[in-house]
Amino acid sequence: MGEKFKRMIKKDISITILACFIIGIMLFLAISLGGKMYNVRNFSSMAFQVSEFAVLSLGMSLAMMLGGIDLSIIANANLSGIIAGYVMCGKLFNTGNMSPAVVIFLAVLAALTCAALLGALNGVMIAKFSAPPMVATLGTMTFYNGIGMAITGGQGIVGFPDMFLKFGSGAVFQIPYVVIVLFFVAIILMFVMEKTTFGRKLYIMGENHTAARFSAIKNERLIIITYTIVGLLAGIASLMIVSRVNSAKVGYGDTYLLQAILVAVLGGVSPSGGKGKIFGVLLAVFSTQMLSSAFTQWQFSPYSKKLVWGAMLVIIMLINLLVDKKMQTVTAAAPAKKGAAAQS
Amino acid sequence: MHIRKMTGTEKFLLVLIVVYCIIVAAVNPAFLSWETLFDLIRSSAGNMILAMGVLVVMISGGIDVSFPAIALFGGYTATRLMMAWDINNMVFAFAVSIGIGLVLGLINALIIYLLKIEPFIVTLGTASIFHGLMTVLVGTTNIGASKLPTSYTSFGAAKLFSITDSYGAEIGVSVFIIPVILAIAVTWFMLYKTMIGRGIFAMGCSEESAKRAGFNNFHTRLVIYCFAGVLAGIMGIIYVANCNTCNPISLIGTEMSVIAAVVIGGAKMTGGQGTILGTFLGVLIMNLLNSTLVFLGFSASWNNFFIGIILLVSIGATSYQERMKNRKNFIYTE
Repeated sequence: MGEKFKRMIKKDISITILACFIIGIMLFLAISLGGKMYNVRNFSSMAFQVSEFAVLSLGMSLAMMLGGIDLSIIANANLSGIIAGYVMCGKLFNTGNMSPAVVIFLAVLAALTCAALLGALNGVMIAKFSAPPMVATLGTMTFYNGIGMAITGGQGIVGFPDMFLKFGSGAVFQIPYVVIVLFFVAIILMFVMEKTTFGRKLYIMGENHTAARFSAIKNERLIIITYTIVGLLAGIASLMIVSRVNSAKVGYGDTYLLQAILVAVLGGVSPSGGKGKIFGVLLAVFSTQMLSSAFTQWQFSPYSKKLVWGAMLVIIMLINLLVDKKMQTVTAAAPAKKGAAAQS
Repeated sequence: MHIRKMTGTEKFLLVLIVVYCIIVAAVNPAFLSWETLFDLIRSSAGNMILAMGVLVVMISGGIDVSFPAIALFGGYTATRLMMAWDINNMVFAFAVSIGIGLVLGLINALIIYLLKIEPFIVTLGTASIFHGLMTVLVGTTNIGASKLPTSYTSFGAAKLFSITDSYGAEIGVSVFIIPVILAIAVTWFMLYKTMIGRGIFAMGCSEESAKRAGFNNFHTRLVIYCFAGVLAGIMGIIYVANCNTCNPISLIGTEMSVIAAVVIGGAKMTGGQGTILGTFLGVLIMNLLNSTLVFLGFSASWNNFFIGIILLVSIGATSYQERMKNRKNFIYTE
């Protein structure tokens, strides 16, 4: 029994560290905040906000697992939200004589298509033009922000139909709709990454581009498909955001970028690619959301929150480095020991 | 000293600037006035100084997104100290800000060297840390124009030489141009005439080869990030003098536009390439677009759109050229 447990821990040490971290935080918060933190209302308000952020973080971690990064994910979400808003409020084409369900369906379709196309543009820049991911996504981020600003002039789009707003703020059996969507997205992503060849190829390519190309993996196609999926996730997040805050504008969620990178790194995704589990990222999202909620309870200023996120990022990377070094010395010592044992 | 030929990017940017100026002048002749030129010099001074620091960091293969936080920290702390100790001297302000920039740049270099992670992630973290430290240690009060020490206002309004325009007002080249010229000169000297500069280029092309050729990468990193920090500190003071207020959050979020300007200017983010003239033209184009699109009748919300297009075109062209060069050498993995 103890042997099996030890093997489970060794299989993925970063998830174990993360799980301990979360249990530690939850205990600490239970002791210091008690009932103020662990009540249904707090959890339900957290649940609404965590879903959109979790989807964005999943997208960012997918891009990071490939060895790149996607700085344009928030701009993508904003622009798709704006497109959905234009369709839904009838500014793009006349929707007066269509039933609300059809309008919403068309808007959702438009937003998801737009987001996927924007993500595909990222992929094409990186794959076909060999632009480094950071530069390419920096350019597309500026461009998407520019389109959004030019279309809306900086103002938000308001006036969404009620049926759509229920998606963002409604719940069934006390579980919000957005959490259900997040659940399905996470399950699908976990299945794809762990059990399909696509996921395997992604990990291999993230670990070593050259080895992947020489293993008959179509690098360029893989990059374009991955960034399209990241764009699609941004589109899903944009629908959640727009239906929750009832407006679509440029510049919403700019602080999410640093947090998404932090959460991906916290969840075990290595910035150089090849490592990371979706489950780890989800754990990291939940723990940072609980920490964030605790900060609000303790009345930290938004600056102090940013300070803590930045410090956590640096500390987590330090811990990862130390753990990596320790694992290297352990695996280097093991064969030596075995060799010595075999000789004696 | 021989004048080298302009690279393709620089030629492209120069042609773009000239064509743009011709178009704007044709649409709205008010563009062609001394006032526009002097305004442009004044508004692009801060970005130019920051861009020099970012250029040096990018040539070495790294990246630094914490420079607005450093600039803010330096400027804000210097102003608060000046108000608290009742000193009204610009030299003091510059000294404090440069000192703070040096220390923060040192911290950046140490963390990057010790933790051995991507500089982007590290500086992303340190940007938040510096900004948070500033708000915790120094405070968050907004300092309006009336409470600002008077030397700021006189520095901000000082001019090198001035002429009277058609309305009788006095306009002139702002004193800001002196730190800009100094920054450009020091960067040029450091990059092209010293061993440290050769080390920067070497580290950008290949860190391992630089190490084996005898360059001490740690020293190079220290110099680079401290240099970027010092320049950011200088820019912080200029920014406060330019806006005539001191506000603890205003610079955050502008890092991407400076990096975009340097990338437009032809510096490669993977390191090893980048020219001062290219960065100069890149910052110039960016500020030109930001401040003069109104002459063409576009509202301010179109700025990012045009800048984004130019950025994408420039990135695409540079990367595609590099890709073709690699393919010719049978390198299929870049």
